[in-house]
Amino acid sequence: MNTEKLLVVQDLKKHFQPSKKFLQTTPAPVRAVDGISFTLLKGETLGLVGESGCGKSTAARTLLRLLEPTSGQVSFCGTQLFDLKEAEMRTLRSEMQIIFQDPYSSVNPGRRIGKILQEPFEIHGFKDNKENTEKAKHLLKQVGLTPGHFNSYPHELSGGQLQRVGIARAIALSPKLIVADEPVSALDVSIRAQVINLLLDLKERLNMSYLFISHDLGVVEYFCDRVAVMYLGKIIEFADNEQIYNSPQHPYTQALLNAIPNLESGRDKQKITLKGDISMLAPQRKGCAFLNRCPIKEKRCEEQEPVLKEIAPGHQVACLLKS
Amino acid sequence: MPSPELEIQNLKVSFSTPKGKLTAVNGISFHINSGETLALVGESGCGKTVSALSILRLLPEPPAEIISGKILFAGQDLLSLSSKQFQDLRGNAISMIFQDPMTSLNPVLTVGEQIIETLLRHTNMNRQEARKKSAELLSRVELPAPKEKLTHYPHQLSGGMRQRVMIAMALACKPRVLIADEPTTALDVLIQSQILDLLHSLKKETGMSILFITHDLGVVAEIAQRVIVMYAGEIIESGPAQALLQKPYHPYTKGLIASIPKLGARDQPGSRLEEISGNVPSLDQRPSGCPFHPRCPSVMDQCKSQAPELSQVEPERYTSCHLEPESL
Repeated sequence: MNTEKLLVVQDLKKHFQPSKKFLQTTPAPVRAVDGISFTLLKGETLGLVGESGCGKSTAARTLLRLLEPTSGQVSFCGTQLFDLKEAEMRTLRSEMQIIFQDPYSSVNPGRRIGKILQEPFEIHGFKDNKENTEKAKHLLKQVGLTPGHFNSYPHELSGGQLQRVGIARAIALSPKLIVADEPVSALDVSIRAQVINLLLDLKERLNMSYLFISHDLGVVEYFCDRVAVMYLGKIIEFADNEQIYNSPQHPYTQALLNAIPNLESGRDKQKITLKGDISMLAPQRKGCAFLNRCPIKEKRCEEQEPVLKEIAPGHQVACLLKS
Repeated sequence: MPSPELEIQNLKVSFSTPKGKLTAVNGISFHINSGETLALVGESGCGKTVSALSILRLLPEPPAEIISGKILFAGQDLLSLSSKQFQDLRGNAISMIFQDPMTSLNPVLTVGEQIIETLLRHTNMNRQEARKKSAELLSRVELPAPKEKLTHYPHQLSGGMRQRVMIAMALACKPRVLIADEPTTALDVLIQSQILDLLHSLKKETGMSILFITHDLGVVAEIAQRVIVMYAGEIIESGPAQALLQKPYHPYTKGLIASIPKLGARDQPGSRLEEISGNVPSLDQRPSGCPFHPRCPSVMDQCKSQAPELSQVEPERYTSCHLEPESL
């Protein structure tokens, strides 16, 4: 395994300040991402997993500087991203690309596919129109579409085909890092497998690293070398693929794995379903953030906030009862 | 022998579009027994939602048109009812929950108003009784602080809570059939698990039948007794859930099951999923013969010209494929 560090994220925070309403005191900020740190190695795929609202997409957007961070450091190939000027950042963006969940809303519906794929080259200073056309056609082939799609409009393509266009656009400038934000959640089952396989192929062929964001642990198992589980803006478990799936430690990770519908067992299996959801939790200042939903909580969890601790080589957990 | 609660016979639905008349549902027949959960499985555009909407006559006509078929419920053909008669039935004996609870709840009415409205329309309750009943319903779907929630607007609730409100509303008049159109697709796994638990226990309690529409075979295994698999407007396989998922006959069903990432099934890092090649055909590009033949791994010459018919391969198991049953 390559040990060269591609991306180092240190204590990244993104807080949103809700607007003050008439005659009210200033509300507390929403701590969407509340101090996460991780390292992504070259050629590695890291999964960022959690329920809706846990801050995984915000984290991804903030570290690409699509959102301005509240605090923290992100270093990409040794460059501190948050110190860069707007223009310098724009140049560097060719190295880091993002694929979105909904392929329909991430392309311009009034542009032909060919034009959409030429745009990255034009923005990054490749002015030769003929060459860009050739490159765009080559991209189509790389993601399993035909040059016949060059003149199509987005609405003429199916969801799966359009997601391939989104992938083609992301790999156009041979980036080192691709952030894939739920890239297959909106797709049909039979198409989902195709797109996952395509992403795996491209990774090997182009030697890229992925930050793969998903709430589906089944897909993540296929995809990722290491997995970080997020809850309310913090990473609560971090481990290798095998460790997460064979010996999950945090009760939240266990519940997530437990909730995946299983083809073989059906309903017979005794299931522990977590009660409640993220939105109904009042922000609390003390103790473990998972407290209200935790099936194994103890008295001390109310007092002390757990931090990530290593319990086995490469396996970190933020739970007082496990470390 | 369980009696069918709802029976659909040879339903055919088409849409008028600029590209001509397109058939979305092509002569399907099935029934739901009382107290049964039947799953209708398929990918986008296979006609599963259109079938469900035509049971409740919720399709906009035109452009939609029910060309032929019968929908039998409690001894009468629902398609022959006037729209006035149908209003007494809809939301009462048959009700429905939808995929996206945000777009199917009225954003400018409180949750309470919306449930009370249903009760006032279909029962003899007065406003006060309806209000009390609404709070009861919300506590039955395990919504915390139900009385308070009555005064909330949909945007104040999370996705999972909104879906609970939808379920409470659908159950308000004790329906005999509940149609659930992808009720968990927009939710994440934990909340999905909660909603499935809830539906399961409500069904046990009330004895209603559920028509559960989904594209997720994992969910099917969790909730359904029987499964119907649809492709391009036709039923291509049906049977008891456990048996069908363990031993699928149709190449499409086989492909669907194989393409799901299963926990613990990855042999080694970087191994690939099995995939079905090609795309789901759009309505205006319906292949000739068997609709699945362009994507089928075991396609034969016969499949290209002649459409197979749904036939029995073993007790309670039906499939439509030209391959010999032994080689399926």
